[in-house]
Amino acid sequence: MLDRALVDEVLTAARRRGGAFAEVFVEETTGTSIRLDDGKVEELTTGLDRGAGVRVTQGTSYGYAFSNRLDRDALLEAAQAASAALREGEAGSVVDLRTLEGPLTNAVERPASDVPAADKVAWLRALDDAARGFSPEVVQVVGVYGDSLQQRLIATSDGRWVEEDRPRIRLVAQVVAKRDDNIQTGFHGPAACSGVEFIDANTPHDTALVAAGRAVTMLDSVPAPAGEMPVVLAPGMGGVLFHEAVGHPLEADAIDKEASVYRGLIGTKCASELIHGVDDATITNGWGSFSFDDEGTPAQRTVLFTDGVLQAYLYDRLRAEKDGVDSTGNGRRQSYASPPVVRMTNTNILNGASDPAEVLADTANGVYVTALGGGQVNPATGDFVFGVSEGHLIEHGEATTPVRGANLIGRAIEVMSAVDAVADDFDTWEGVCGKDGQSAPVGSGSPTLRISRITVGGTGA
Amino acid sequence: MPDLGELVRAAVEASQVDEAVEAYAEESRQTEASALRGEVEGLEFAESRGVGVRVIRDGRLGYAYAADPSVDEVRATVGRARENAALTEPDEFNVLPAAEPASAIPELFREDSADVTTEAKVRMALDLERRLVTSDPRVTKVDFAQIGDVTSRVAIASTAGVDAEYARTDAFVVAVTLAVDGDETQTGFSYRIARGLDELGLDDVADEAIERAVRMLGATKPPTARVPVVLDRFAAMDFLGVLASALNAENVLKGRSLFAEMVGDRVGSELFTLVDDGTILDGPGAAPFDGEGVPSGRTELFTGGTLNGFLHDTYTAARMGGGQRSTGNGKRGSYKGSPGVGTSNFYLDNGTTPFDELLRDAEGGVLIADVSGVHSGANPISGEFSVGATGLRIEGGALGEPLREMTIASTLPEMLAGITGVGDDLRFFSSVGTPSVLIGEMTLAGV
Repeated sequence: MLDRALVDEVLTAARRRGGAFAEVFVEETTGTSIRLDDGKVEELTTGLDRGAGVRVTQGTSYGYAFSNRLDRDALLEAAQAASAALREGEAGSVVDLRTLEGPLTNAVERPASDVPAADKVAWLRALDDAARGFSPEVVQVVGVYGDSLQQRLIATSDGRWVEEDRPRIRLVAQVVAKRDDNIQTGFHGPAACSGVEFIDANTPHDTALVAAGRAVTMLDSVPAPAGEMPVVLAPGMGGVLFHEAVGHPLEADAIDKEASVYRGLIGTKCASELIHGVDDATITNGWGSFSFDDEGTPAQRTVLFTDGVLQAYLYDRLRAEKDGVDSTGNGRRQSYASPPVVRMTNTNILNGASDPAEVLADTANGVYVTALGGGQVNPATGDFVFGVSEGHLIEHGEATTPVRGANLIGRAIEVMSAVDAVADDFDTWEGVCGKDGQSAPVGSGSPTLRISRITVGGTGA
Repeated sequence: MPDLGELVRAAVEASQVDEAVEAYAEESRQTEASALRGEVEGLEFAESRGVGVRVIRDGRLGYAYAADPSVDEVRATVGRARENAALTEPDEFNVLPAAEPASAIPELFREDSADVTTEAKVRMALDLERRLVTSDPRVTKVDFAQIGDVTSRVAIASTAGVDAEYARTDAFVVAVTLAVDGDETQTGFSYRIARGLDELGLDDVADEAIERAVRMLGATKPPTARVPVVLDRFAAMDFLGVLASALNAENVLKGRSLFAEMVGDRVGSELFTLVDDGTILDGPGAAPFDGEGVPSGRTELFTGGTLNGFLHDTYTAARMGGGQRSTGNGKRGSYKGSPGVGTSNFYLDNGTTPFDELLRDAEGGVLIADVSGVHSGANPISGEFSVGATGLRIEGGALGEPLREMTIASTLPEMLAGITGVGDDLRFFSSVGTPSVLIGEMTLAGV
């Protein structure tokens, strides 16, 4: 995207006051998004975005500036501005830029750009038909298709030259079902870093049926109970909770700011011995996968918990250098417009040994959560909350009546320590994570698991 | 570099017969400075620029955008939007608004913002952090202390005759503190948005962020009960966000709002009057016109608890029919998207009850200081919600022991009807404003 001599010049300018290192991130992203709503393909958007950001660091301080223009003047101006964050110091050097080769994590069979937009429109039509065909109670459907290709170049003053293309694809179905005055919604949004072969495995039809099934099921729901009780999480949902409640406090910026409940707990048992957890950017075509992170560090699999014992934090370059460890490849950014922040990739609780059917059968009473609507955690206190978008009562070991209006609330360490069953039916859930005003695609996954006691918020008895 | 007006007019000139074309361009310069441990944590400069083009042909809508385009690239973007329009389905309500004169709001642009040097901004961030960590012995660390400002310009032109521009300045501050007592840590936040850095009231923000953390130390989980609840202004703001979605005419027209069939109905308590007003300067949401060039206006959505109507852009107004006009609420997140219904200054009208009196009326209840999970735990379609909360017990007319790990759950209509007091302390911390609100009774789930 840019020639090496120019990049070298920009890095040199960025190091005019020294600092630990300087970095240039260049991006050109093209994408298509199509929205079907109310029975109509109402909008098709194509975009072209490009820009370059320059970062200069000193300890955990940094300066960052970006430009939409990729010419020499604009890039040197950005380098000048970014370096203004540093105290006056001696100029630093730039090591010869060497291309780093990594394994291809996100191989593409059929690039989305090779597929006519008319075919993509047809997928949304099929999604709409399938959702409406599911039940006469389906009254509204939103279908969204999106693909993008982000071409990136990362070059650093310590010699990294990394180029990587990131293909992303996502299909979303959002369904509204209605019976008399009762209105309920269902959502399903599979996604991957992949070409359109992903759609063969996650057809518009199947995606629609999952979302429609959720919405129609919830029409039979009763208000959720309130109070402490056992909760069984369906495959994938434990991963969502693990990402939010545990993963965020394990990010090294929270640790560094002493704003994490897990600070100082490496080597300590702070979850049930059934918990084996990882953050893994190397999963083939995973939604949160890549070959290199946005600082040019090779993707890796980081073991977070073994037998409930905390093993590691997640690092970017800044905090890794401060703590004298290696980055775990968790420096990610939304685009050239933002500096990297420490954040997760694909965060999973690994399979245990229990039979999922038995986990449910062994639970006398409680709530079975089949879809979470998202959540929020305060990493400093560990307090978290999750909305339950589809759940059922558990009565005498069976999932029975659906419940609505429920949420799960608790503290990370207490709740992870209260896990008393982990099954062997691992599945994933793809989401978009927000942090520091940036969003990034993240995967999470888990098998069925049970929390022996957790507070359920609801309006029912 | 071509100016914004040139870019949007080039797009309009590239239109063909039998199509409507609208181009929206924006550029901004933003500086953000954050401080940590007495040092600059981050200093960020952002300069961005882009153009988005809507083409409507036979009722079909296509959109395309480009970052920092040349005039030729703008013409190419019109071509891409046209190609995209060929693949969508016709909708007779896809129309561009006719040009209407909008009153300029010169106060939106503070000329002197450009006079604040980067060094001065860095100093403000460092001073903010110092005040945060030196005012109370229990607060010696921050999670985040940041100030920033933005200068931006917008231009819009269309084949329907719209040709308008304006400039604005904005400034913001965010403070998140950590209060520590033994093994326990609590956090407190505050923030403001204003038109200039000198209007942020940094000392007040710092004091609030400290107070909100310190008072939570020692928090316990309360027993499940139905109690009176006072929503403080930050907590009430989060609920207004859910209401905004349910009052969006697009959601109403597409069967995604619980309020769809309730116009003219008494939904809330008589104390509940809800307004959107893009013309007042009290909040930072003012603008001379919206993302389609329609002049901003004032819309009273609820008056004394009765639902009057919804927020509209040009599309929803045309589709609603019955003489409905756009309320000037066609908003854009950025040039990367076409306009959709959004709020400007969205606020719960001020009441008459002093905060202390609200507390006296809520004896034995809880002040909710912070709610979490509203975006996932509240359903604007069904109106049901269940959210996490922290707060303080109300005892003897004053704030007492701190409470955490609780949830409040209800439905929006039930909550609005249950309002028994509205404070006289309306304040815009952002473009959403609200006074403190007393709700007679809500389910609070804990142990």
